[in-house]
Amino acid sequence: MKPGAERSIGTVPRPVLFVFVAALCLQIAWQAWQPRPSARAEALGAPASPATLRALALGEPIALAQLLTLYLQAFDNQPGVSIPFRDLDYARVTAWLGTLIELDPAAQYPLLMATQLYAQVPDEARQRLMCGFVHDQFWRDPDRRWRWLAHCAIMVKHRLRDTRLALDYAEAITRGARRASNWARQMRIFILEDLGEIEAARVLLGGLLASGEVTEEKEVHFLTERLKSLEAAGKSSLPANN
Amino acid sequence: MDSRIATIARCTLIEAMRTRLPALVLVTLLALLAASFFIESIAVVEGDRLQTGFYASGMRLSGVFIAAIYVLVSVTREFNDKGLDVLLALDLPRSHYVLGKLAGYLAIAALIAVAAALPLLWFAPLAAVAQWTASLAVELAIVVAFALFAIVTLNQLTPAASFVLAFYLLARSLTAVRLMGAHPLAGADTLSHQVIGFMVETLALVVPALDAWTQTAWLVNGPAGWSATGPLLGFGALYVVLLAAATMFDFYRKNF
Repeated sequence: MKPGAERSIGTVPRPVLFVFVAALCLQIAWQAWQPRPSARAEALGAPASPATLRALALGEPIALAQLLTLYLQAFDNQPGVSIPFRDLDYARVTAWLGTLIELDPAAQYPLLMATQLYAQVPDEARQRLMCGFVHDQFWRDPDRRWRWLAHCAIMVKHRLRDTRLALDYAEAITRGARRASNWARQMRIFILEDLGEIEAARVLLGGLLASGEVTEEKEVHFLTERLKSLEAAGKSSLPANN
Repeated sequence: MDSRIATIARCTLIEAMRTRLPALVLVTLLALLAASFFIESIAVVEGDRLQTGFYASGMRLSGVFIAAIYVLVSVTREFNDKGLDVLLALDLPRSHYVLGKLAGYLAIAALIAVAAALPLLWFAPLAAVAQWTASLAVELAIVVAFALFAIVTLNQLTPAASFVLAFYLLARSLTAVRLMGAHPLAGADTLSHQVIGFMVETLALVVPALDAWTQTAWLVNGPAGWSATGPLLGFGALYVVLLAAATMFDFYRKNF
C-alpha cells in the first residue's frame, strides 16, 4: 500500500457516501439531543489503612502517597463541582493526612495542606482540629515539622486569640525542635510577654542570651534591648517601698 | 447477507480460531476468575461484591484490549502478506471486503462478551448479567469497528494502536472532561477556555461517552433496567454503522 496516494472522493460509491453522511448526521443529532452531564458532589471516603496501602503500593509507598496527596487535594474540586473546604468531613480529612504521612514520613506536603488549606476555613473547631493534628505529628519528627507548628502557634494566637494554646505550641518547639530557627525557638518568650508573665519572659530571654545560642550580632542586640525593656517593665510594676 | 460478505466473515472467524484467540480469551478469563476468588477470600465483608466487581471490570478492560489488538494485527498481517491485493484483484467490491471483515470482527466481539459473562451467571442476577453482556458486546463492537477504521486509515500498527487507545481513553473520560470544562474554578470567561470548551463539546458530538456503558454497578447494585441500557445499544449500533461507512470511505480512496 502506498501511504498518501489517495484516489478522489468521486471513486467512493454514492451509497457509501450517503450512509456515511446520514450516519454522521444521526450521530450528531443523537448526541446533541442527549441532556448535558450534571455534576454531583461525592463524599470523601475513609482511607485504607497504611498497612493495606503499603501492600498495594507494590514497593512504591512514596509514589502512592504522592498520588493520594494529589487526590485529596483535588477532592474539593470534583469534576464539575467545587466543594467548600468547610463542607468536607474533617475527621476523614485528618485520617487521610495521617495516612499520607505514615506512607511518606519525610513529606511536608500533608502538613502544608493541614495548615495552609484546611486550617484556613472560618470555623474555629476545624482550625483547632487541624492544629491539634499538626501538634500530634510534630512530636514524631520535631526537627523537620516545627515550621508547621510555628504557623499554628501564630494562627491560634492572632486568629483564635488563644494565647495559652499558642504558648503550648511555642514551648513544644523550644523543647522538641533543637534544629528549629531561632525565631521559632524564641517565640515562647514573646508570647509569655503578651500574657503578662514578664518575669518568666525575662528569665528565659536572659538565659537564652547567656547560653550563647544566639550568635548573630544584630539579633543579640535586638534581644538585649528587649531584655532591658522587660527589666524596666518589671521594675516599674514592683510595689514602691516607702 | 451477500455470500461474498458471509465468506469473508467466516474466513475472519476461522482465522481467529487458528490464531489461538479463543485460548487467549480463556486464559485471561481463568486468570481473572482465579484472582477474583483470591480477592473474595481475603475480603472481610462483601466478598461476593468485591469478587464480582474485580472480575467484571478486569474482564471488560481485557476484552477491549484483546479485541482491539486482534483486529489491528489481523488487518496489518493481511496488508503485509498481500492477501488483500489478491482479494481486490477479484470481482469483489471494496465495501464487501470491509463489511465482511467487520461482520467477522463483530461476531468475535460478541463471542468474547458472552464468554466474559458466563462466570457472572454464578455471581449476579440473570437480568443484570444480560444487560452487562449486551452492553459489553456493543462496546466491543465499537472498539473493533474503530480499530478497523484506524488501521485502514493509518496503515501502520503503532499509530493505529495509539489512535485506538487514545479514542478509548477519551471515550471513558469524556463526561468528566465536559463537567470540568463546564464549571472551571477560574478563568471561565477567557478566550482560551471558551475555545477549548467549544472543542470539547464538539468532540462530544462524535465520540461516545463509554463511561456510562457496561457498568459494574449493574451487577453489584442491581440491574439498571432496559429503558436505560436500550438506548445505549441503539446508539452503539448507529456508531458502528458510522464507523463502517467511514472505513469504506477511506478504503475506497486508497491506491494499492
